[in-house]
Amino acid sequence: MEQRLRHEAKALLEQGKVDWIIGFEPGSLKFTTTPLITNDKNDADRLVINPFIVNNLANFLTEVKGRVGIVAKGCDSRSIVSLIQDNKVLRESVVILGVPCLGIIDLSKIERLVTKDRNELDDIIREGDKVVIRVDGEKKEFPTTQALFDNCLACEFPTPQEYDILLGEPKPAAPNLAQSRENIEKLEGMSPGERWDFWKNELNRCIRCYACRNVCPACFCQRCFVEETEPQWVLPVPRWQDNLIFQIVRNIHVAGRCTDCGECQRVCPVNIPLRSLAREMYDLVDELFHFKAGMDKDARSLMTHYEEKEAEEFFR
Amino acid sequence: MASKKIDKKDIAKLLSLWSQQFAVFTPSQASGVATMAKWDGKDASFLDWYRNTVIPPKANFLPAMEEMFGFQKDREGYHIELLPSNERKQLIFGVRPCDAKALAILDMTFKEAYEDPYYLPKRSSAVLVGLGCTNPYDSCFCTSLGISPAQSTDVDLMLTDIGDEFLIEEVTDKGKELIAKATEVKKASKEEEAKAKEVKEAARQKVTRKIDTEGIGDRLLACFDDEDYWEKIAAKCISCGICTLLCPTCYCFDINDELVRQQGARFRSWDSCAFPLYTKMPMENPRLEKWRRVRQKVCHKFKFYPMNFGVIACTGCGRCIRLCPVNWDITQTLESVPVKV
Repeated sequence: MEQRLRHEAKALLEQGKVDWIIGFEPGSLKFTTTPLITNDKNDADRLVINPFIVNNLANFLTEVKGRVGIVAKGCDSRSIVSLIQDNKVLRESVVILGVPCLGIIDLSKIERLVTKDRNELDDIIREGDKVVIRVDGEKKEFPTTQALFDNCLACEFPTPQEYDILLGEPKPAAPNLAQSRENIEKLEGMSPGERWDFWKNELNRCIRCYACRNVCPACFCQRCFVEETEPQWVLPVPRWQDNLIFQIVRNIHVAGRCTDCGECQRVCPVNIPLRSLAREMYDLVDELFHFKAGMDKDARSLMTHYEEKEAEEFFR
Repeated sequence: MASKKIDKKDIAKLLSLWSQQFAVFTPSQASGVATMAKWDGKDASFLDWYRNTVIPPKANFLPAMEEMFGFQKDREGYHIELLPSNERKQLIFGVRPCDAKALAILDMTFKEAYEDPYYLPKRSSAVLVGLGCTNPYDSCFCTSLGISPAQSTDVDLMLTDIGDEFLIEEVTDKGKELIAKATEVKKASKEEEAKAKEVKEAARQKVTRKIDTEGIGDRLLACFDDEDYWEKIAAKCISCGICTLLCPTCYCFDINDELVRQQGARFRSWDSCAFPLYTKMPMENPRLEKWRRVRQKVCHKFKFYPMNFGVIACTGCGRCIRLCPVNWDITQTLESVPVKV
């Protein structure tokens, strides 16, 4: 898959079909990759596909000018489609290099499994439905259900929904919704008071780095409401109350656009379980509107679309 | 000066003793993220997991947010209500040499450039107990900034892990006083001192990530106007605030007032040059483009701060690399700076 990607990416640049390639190259730390954004065909040889390609590269599409060849996993492809629905990206300006995805390895889970930091591990290898970790000369095996990101466990569409070039055989979906919703079920089991205290406690440590927002392809506002001063909806001061408003409004804003790519939670430096909010909203959107984000580029964007036969009386 | 030592099992007793006089802070994950938090009064089990905190100890002196004063509004105008300052003196246990050095660097801004009335009282009354790093991360590069991971500077007391015990160096008089009455503290032997020296050297060897700081300021200045270079460097940055807010030497803050009915308060909170709004002015924004902001961050640390204070504002703690959502790596950037001067 990797060789094919390098070949295709190089050809796209050489033939002038794209101006830029957005993909992954090896990162500077163990078990990491990093976005590669290049217009140089010689860089194509650095492109990689492995179980550590965490980033949702669709995030860069609204920023990079010109025609773009972009590497996309299943969830990323849906983010791209969602951007097309919102007229943020033109379908004809992107060449989607689709990666049928087996799920991405969650290094935080690995660290908890072996009680070691990531840089103390010798190797992490994906072998079928197992993840093999080599550490201190020992080999430890875990089922992928313990090692992949929660959102990957829930994945219904591992193969890109929209692509120009599919880099491998389509992968069958095997969503394990129960396991991926474990943390959410815990929250749902709480009384409203307990849940309030839970989020108060979690959001109390937010430092307002805005990584959750900036890493999110669905958060494409030119100016975010948290930065408005007239009126000032929330203070930029990281008080839990303001942090809570920030997250609630952010989740409402990305409803119908969020593909549960899990990036908001992964990047949070203070470990706030943001996917619990995002996934809950994702499921609510599905339940209320029978809508899953980014499935059909010709469908209209859910929240900006109005029809005369709209169900709600107050809309008419 | 002869060194002292303490059994690791007795650390909790020492912390208890210090608690009588200080608000004792230790590495803690109780809040959900590793930070220097109020000691739980129980044990020293944090030693089992502690490598470094995610939130740097600067937060103990320059908190992520802080109420500066309250105010009341009436027909005559605003009346300021100063907050009572009854904070206890802080003792921070387990500060790593990179973070201790970072505090010394912050002092230059908050003490020398001007006297900050919020930072300084906390800082000058505080006591730092350092703990040498024996297991640095692969993102650490302190040795390139002239820091050794177990060096005994910028702290009052320095501990080095020599097995079942910590070797203790009394770095300042304040530090000496700390253990003067501690019965658990014993005199260390020559062999134990030698062992500590070995441990320190071994730790230094473990830091393999390097940067070349030789003439870095001039090299940065030479490519300052190279827009293509900076655009390439900045391409994958997502303009979040992680690398700056969690940098132990970054000190930028924002000030906001809140007025609800007649009662108000002024807050200051961490701010970041990575945010486009950081430089927003009524007519224009000199750093609207991302590459200008990335350039500012790099140049501030490696050119402007040295110009102002004679020291690079980076201690190689590696947080910005470890925590970056896109693995933007300052050491790679510095390595790629064109060599022409």
